[in-house]
Amino acid sequence: MDESKKRLVQRLIRRIPTKMLKTTLQKWGHLTGEQHRAMDSIQSKWALTESLLAICEENELAVKHLTELEMIYMMDNPDQGMWYAFQLTDPGDDAQSVDLMQFKEQFKSHLRELVRQVSVKIKKHTDEAVWIRIAWGDAYSRPDHLKPTYVVHYLQTPYVFVTRLNSKQKPMLFQAMVLSTRYQYFKDANLSGRNLTAIRDLLMRKYQQVFPTKYPSPLTERKQTVTNPHVEREQAKPAANRLQMACEAFGGGTLPQLQSAVYKLETKFRDHTNTLMTEREEPFRCVVKFSSTNLLESLKNCASSGIASTPVTPLLSSIPLKGKNYFVITDNVPGPSSQMRQTQN
Amino acid sequence: MEQHHNSETRTPLNSVAVQRRSKTKSYRLSYRSGIGAASRLGFTPGLTARRLNTSRKAPKSNNITEKVTKEQLALLVKTEWKLSYVTPLYQFRHTQLKSYSRQLSAFIAAEKQQGLAVDVEGTQNRFRVSFSLVQEMTESVDDAVTVFIQIHSKPLIVRQDEPQRPVWSGWLTCINGNLEYLRSLPKDFICLPLFCSSEAGGLTSVVKSWFQQSFDCCFGPLEISHTSLQWLMALWTNCHPESSIRQLKMIWTLPVEPQLQVTYTVNAEDAWQLWSSVRKENTAAAGEENSIDIEEVTSFMQGLKGHFFRHFRLDLSAGRLDEVSTALGSAKHSGRIKFSNSKYMITTLMLLTECALLKMPI
Repeated sequence: MDESKKRLVQRLIRRIPTKMLKTTLQKWGHLTGEQHRAMDSIQSKWALTESLLAICEENELAVKHLTELEMIYMMDNPDQGMWYAFQLTDPGDDAQSVDLMQFKEQFKSHLRELVRQVSVKIKKHTDEAVWIRIAWGDAYSRPDHLKPTYVVHYLQTPYVFVTRLNSKQKPMLFQAMVLSTRYQYFKDANLSGRNLTAIRDLLMRKYQQVFPTKYPSPLTERKQTVTNPHVEREQAKPAANRLQMACEAFGGGTLPQLQSAVYKLETKFRDHTNTLMTEREEPFRCVVKFSSTNLLESLKNCASSGIASTPVTPLLSSIPLKGKNYFVITDNVPGPSSQMRQTQN
Repeated sequence: MEQHHNSETRTPLNSVAVQRRSKTKSYRLSYRSGIGAASRLGFTPGLTARRLNTSRKAPKSNNITEKVTKEQLALLVKTEWKLSYVTPLYQFRHTQLKSYSRQLSAFIAAEKQQGLAVDVEGTQNRFRVSFSLVQEMTESVDDAVTVFIQIHSKPLIVRQDEPQRPVWSGWLTCINGNLEYLRSLPKDFICLPLFCSSEAGGLTSVVKSWFQQSFDCCFGPLEISHTSLQWLMALWTNCHPESSIRQLKMIWTLPVEPQLQVTYTVNAEDAWQLWSSVRKENTAAAGEENSIDIEEVTSFMQGLKGHFFRHFRLDLSAGRLDEVSTALGSAKHSGRIKFSNSKYMITTLMLLTECALLKMPI
């Protein structure tokens, strides 16, 4: 047996949780009913690996079949590792008419022109997304199927999501992408996260962005800690107001799960008590990173609880509004009345 | 406090017990006296009466590198230490280290083998303990010499080419301890209030209980308070012209659901400029001790928080400062410290010694 095939099987069995293996294998559809039953009865990962290897021998399944199995699992469980969003710009006249067959063919041939040793597999997912698996090789080595790059692209849209791409492979993927989609440029959308659906929803504005203007009184939802009715009445209005503004900034309902947002600040230091620093010409350079298991939910909570002043600063509300989570902030014009400007890097 | 009582009750009832109880009392009294008269007036515990110093010497590139050997310094830097405080050690002798090494290794063996069937014949001890002194790492003459402990585990198969790594290391130190307090301690006590440990297995608790039993002391966790973390930020930033801090990093946690973490990293040069802008007019002539005041530390922090608020309209004061770090070291609220540059270690240790003394139960 080919060593690379063996390692791929080992890797697959190790990565796919046992409880998900059954459905994944069924979707794959390369096993006989008896083989399915045999696989189901095995518990240990080691024995599963051995068994799958034997089945591959028996059914004459090659590496390309195994990569398909990996793709099926990946498409069902995309939230692994970091996904980076990119955006195609300046569409050509025929950009809207590119269909799947055309894209498939062109992408493969363009990439092969750039990298001789490359293995590409393209599959269409149920939600219109085109999934691309790329195993890279170089002049001296065959494609490495253990470290594939995954690309998700929605045809006729400028959005591309990529995971496990290293900087050496970046330009080649960009070029193949631009050529086969008939766009001019490919740029970083400054958005990344572990949850593919979330960053897709943010970038493609797919999540609920219709902000309700009326809310049930927030005090009925929250723990009643204040008992004095006067105090309560006094506080109810600002609290409702804060919640309203928090929802206006970040949206109501379930928010897309983002893990972090990074701001590179290169703005002047201004503090009326510190003239020395305020008079300084150079910007105060710092980087601020917000992180949480659900960043937008945390920020919304900051605003509704009063930790963050309302109305929410455009810097924070830009995350859902612009679908970005990396910002470079500089002063627009030097001078006291300058405004923040968000520039793309 | 409770822990201390425990250790007292565990003291076997023999002739020594009476003597011990009396000395415990005297040392408690002496600690209060070190705190000042105010605390004696009522029930006000000394801890609330005494606070961290509000002014301290600016760290100067210490000549520690000239005094302490390179090998010993290498043991202390670049490791993250978990901090604890220790009450004064009764009848600890810096001259008995060899015998302590033997005792502790036997103690560990006994603890580890509890409940296990032991081969009576081959009572070969798997743990080798070594106590050593870090001479000259002191700031005042009253500081007891730092004691460094390493525990090696003898591998079952010995390989010649592989250097043995310790499974546990730790040290007890006192740098510039409160003079009044140190001098008020009865003769038989050695005060090494700061205990740092680093390990992979569960040996810390065994080492602690050996110390508790042997020197009638007690240990407690030492967290690094918000104020101390701010002090460290300022002290480290102050070193920037001499030794680059590379960057000033703070990690804050905000109490929202789900928890929000804010990592605020400031460019080294800009942090230094902000720091110098909040420094008061320095009246000290050249060559004189340069001192830093708590007000300067607070203004520095205010400046950083203000800049943050101006952009995000988010009040960091609502959260907790969890961690600060620069190229000189890192410190965590949970009581972990790492020295990355030995030159400025003494200043940090002075602050931590002070914290340990304050945290001790009276």
